[in-house]
Amino acid sequence: MSIFRIERGHDGPARIGRLTLDELETSTPSLAGPPQEESHWLTYSVYERSSSSDSAASMIALPTIFASHDETDTLTHKSSLVLLPSIPGSSSLGQEMAELLLSWQLGFLRERPKSVPPQHCVVRIPVGIDTVLLKEYLSQFSELGVRSASFLLNSELGSDDFSSVKLRSAIPRNWLAIALGRIDPHLLPLLIYLGFDVIDIGRAFSAAAKNVRLWQVTNEKVLEVDHQRFCSCRHCISIDDFGETARDNRLETLTGHNIDMYRQVMSESISKMHDGQLRWLVESRTHASPSMTSLLRRIDREIYEFLEEFTPTIGQGVLPLIGPESYHSPIVRRFRERLVERYAPPPHKRIVLLLPCSARKPYSDSKSHRRFSRAIENGIGRSESSIAETIITSPLGIIPRELERVYPIAQYDIPVSGDWDTEETSIAVDALVKHLAKFSDEAVVLAHVSGGYQTIVNEAESRIKQSIIYTSSGHSTGSRSSLESLTEVLQDLKSKLEIRATEQKRLQDTLRSTADFQFGKGTGSLLIPDSAHLKGKLYHMVTCQVEEVQTCSFIGSSGALSLTMDGGERIAPLDRYVVRFEGAEIKGGSIFAVGVNEADPVIRPGDEVVVVGKDNTVMAVGKSEMSGPEMCEFEKGRAVSIRHKRK
Amino acid sequence: MEDTLERIQSVIISASTKARGSSIAFRRQRNPTRPAASWITTSRIGNSTGKALSVVFSTIGCSHARGESGGCTMCSYLLDGTSVPPSAAELVEQFAAAMSKLDDEEAPLSVKLYTSGSFLDSEEFPSEAMKSVLETIAQDPRITQVVVESRPDYVTESNVSLLRSILGYRHIEIGIGLESMNERVRMLCVNKGFSSDDFEQALLTAKQQNIGVRAYVLIKPPFMTERDAILDSVLTVRQSAALWASTVSVNPVNIQRHTLVEQLWTDGLYRPPWLWTVVEVLKRGHSEIPQETNLVCDPVAAGKARGAHNCGRCDQAVIRAIRDFSLDQDPKSLEGLDCECKTDWEHVLAHEDVSLYVHSDRHEGR
Ligand code: SF4
Ligand SMILES: [Zn+2]
Ligand SMILES: [Zn+2]
Repeated sequence: MSIFRIERGHDGPARIGRLTLDELETSTPSLAGPPQEESHWLTYSVYERSSSSDSAASMIALPTIFASHDETDTLTHKSSLVLLPSIPGSSSLGQEMAELLLSWQLGFLRERPKSVPPQHCVVRIPVGIDTVLLKEYLSQFSELGVRSASFLLNSELGSDDFSSVKLRSAIPRNWLAIALGRIDPHLLPLLIYLGFDVIDIGRAFSAAAKNVRLWQVTNEKVLEVDHQRFCSCRHCISIDDFGETARDNRLETLTGHNIDMYRQVMSESISKMHDGQLRWLVESRTHASPSMTSLLRRIDREIYEFLEEFTPTIGQGVLPLIGPESYHSPIVRRFRERLVERYAPPPHKRIVLLLPCSARKPYSDSKSHRRFSRAIENGIGRSESSIAETIITSPLGIIPRELERVYPIAQYDIPVSGDWDTEETSIAVDALVKHLAKFSDEAVVLAHVSGGYQTIVNEAESRIKQSIIYTSSGHSTGSRSSLESLTEVLQDLKSKLEIRATEQKRLQDTLRSTADFQFGKGTGSLLIPDSAHLKGKLYHMVTCQVEEVQTCSFIGSSGALSLTMDGGERIAPLDRYVVRFEGAEIKGGSIFAVGVNEADPVIRPGDEVVVVGKDNTVMAVGKSEMSGPEMCEFEKGRAVSIRHKRK
Repeated sequence: MEDTLERIQSVIISASTKARGSSIAFRRQRNPTRPAASWITTSRIGNSTGKALSVVFSTIGCSHARGESGGCTMCSYLLDGTSVPPSAAELVEQFAAAMSKLDDEEAPLSVKLYTSGSFLDSEEFPSEAMKSVLETIAQDPRITQVVVESRPDYVTESNVSLLRSILGYRHIEIGIGLESMNERVRMLCVNKGFSSDDFEQALLTAKQQNIGVRAYVLIKPPFMTERDAILDSVLTVRQSAALWASTVSVNPVNIQRHTLVEQLWTDGLYRPPWLWTVVEVLKRGHSEIPQETNLVCDPVAAGKARGAHNCGRCDQAVIRAIRDFSLDQDPKSLEGLDCECKTDWEHVLAHEDVSLYVHSDRHEGR
């Protein structure tokens, strides 16, 4: 029996899994290669074409459609994955051919249900096949019991590689995904990030045979270079000059080195996945070549929904956003989109104050923002709730002060040089225009910005209805004169707009905006109604009680709300972030995917969710461990970690 | 499943037709009185060696390629043909021009009559011309061997008895592009358009007149892995020898213009066979066929990017060994060859089968 189980998501589509093939158990992501004396990978060979010692391989490829071969009756006793027959070199023959290759594999399985058990079989996905067509076929394979697919890559980083990656995103979420072909080490982080579970290292051997030493990002033709690189690995260390090394020794050394390079990059990727920083590793690898960069950009653009679904909404530690590769990363793009969609400014805001971001996060802990806040207090005193503080930053766009603790705002780290490139400028301009459109035309916009930030406001100006006052006229925003001018302008406005001292709304604004951001527009006023009693220190912990019953609490360190049962009941009628549980009773601290057939597709790993039972009542609240669609599709795995449940 | 195969076949046929495209319209109009090519080589004639004159007649080309069926996936012989069909008299003139090259040669001689299609197809090569050419040969006692080429459809009783009656005692061989004994490979990968039965029938017909058949075996049609290619060719060599083919000639695919194979090659989806593959086919083939069957190979464009090739360093030595073996039929000629690229080839054999990734020159460099 072959079983593939996903044990732990998520850092993007990347996942840790476990593949069980009768006696053999391997954790994934795993490498795959030809059998060797001590192979640290899944081994593969070809049915009845390899030496007998290879027949224990964990993946057996059946000969191609055209090959002369005998019937495959003997496969029953094998505990290997079986790669179904297809043909090489057909990708330029169009959709019809691609479809025929799938239909051949389907027919092959249907004719031999006994000798080739479908659970063991791997569909070879034809390069370039249309996604919709593929999905139609996959459901038929699924019905037969197939749970694995293989994809072909050539490391050219062109349209073929993109096609395979895109098709990978189209297979059922719980299938095993195998990448075959020529795969250079620098592709590994990307493939793992995209959720490939098994990766072919055949390239290690063919490169060695061509006297090519593989490195993390580049390849070295050891007999052709003027300067051979130093390598301290256990294989290379005894070699001074490959040119003077006997052929067998050279081959063995290069093979060993190349294999270890794959192992090294693989383990680095897995370690980064555990830290939630795999995306960062992928982005940093794109600097290997322009084509890597454009491949990632294309992936971000065209399979964003796939990447985003598996990208958690919570995280720990610093989130490095290192350059243009980060502008459209799922975390960043999702934040920008959600802000537009879910944030509504509190009605009592009459002044919008645009501020630059700070290198230190959260912003309000930074020196510059502490200065701003003193200047604001000096200017407007107890009426500061009428000001919508809005921070401009790259590549997230703009951040309302109320959301400064939300993930990833309190965590991201960017190179702060003050120079904005055209793309980040246009991202920020766009975000600013959309944000200001949510305020009334009478609101006054104060731009306390300089340098690149000022360019953004200037560029946005023609698309903004409100009038803009610049308060730092040419000076740095933190300078005494700028801060004084901010204070003066606020004093002026206070009297002109007849802003009276109002009650402190900071806690309410923050909690409501957070609720809206987390659960969608309108949830803020349900969880934190006007009658709510808010207690605690903002940015530490704030609890919200309505008639002595707690609905939720705001945790400053995560910038998120956690629900109580009462809170869950308040938002359940909106049917958002709801997981429908089939069981009668929740045992223990989790519910598992097997008990879920319906869940809000918007749910992401890390989200706060409401568990609703068959009788339509709230059974529990908790934190999701997978995406909504995964909960529905998976037969295994923890779906929700319960925080509170009905007694 | 059969239905799927048929549809795969029709996709390949239309791809092949498309690759040929309008190229046929640009065929040159050749001088109808000169052969497209003619040359003299040293060749195996019976059990000894002698000179062989090969004549490629300029004709309108192969009926299979001319017609709806799209032609074979690797063949652009049609392009070597001429757009205006030469008359019988002109064909005879072509032959006379070529024959003059044999003036100073001594027996035993062999004459190989090639067209860009079938010598026995009367539409391509009118019967009067055929008779006249054969009669000219019959008058030359130095010529002891005659080879013609034809698709099996034209290996009819009347044609073979004509050959026999005019050429008399001479050793006659008809070359037939069998390519592969595997029906799927021949029909789909090559788009050959005839069945194994057609081939066997032609073989029997020829045998009645004691005419031998020279089976052409294709090494590495498209859509096969390098190891598929070896296994298929070895099997075909063995089976065609068992069917009484007098000579088996293995032909590694070379990239000809305006063919499906060329298009695949350009896209990095096809690589001509390694010379190691050719050596392997010859070695294994030789050990599996009877002594009296000749196994020969004259690889076209060998050592070049468009022909069977290795790494570039060892190609010439390997080609020489292949040629030597073809002349002396001694497997020792194929021994002792080695090069670093052999390791790469061995890896390709194993890896292509598993991954179906084409280790083409475009991807892998050369
Ligand atoms: S290989 Fe022979 S049969 Fe095929 S198209 Fe060429 S000439 Fe015609
Ligand atoms: Zn090393
Ligand atoms: Zn070589």
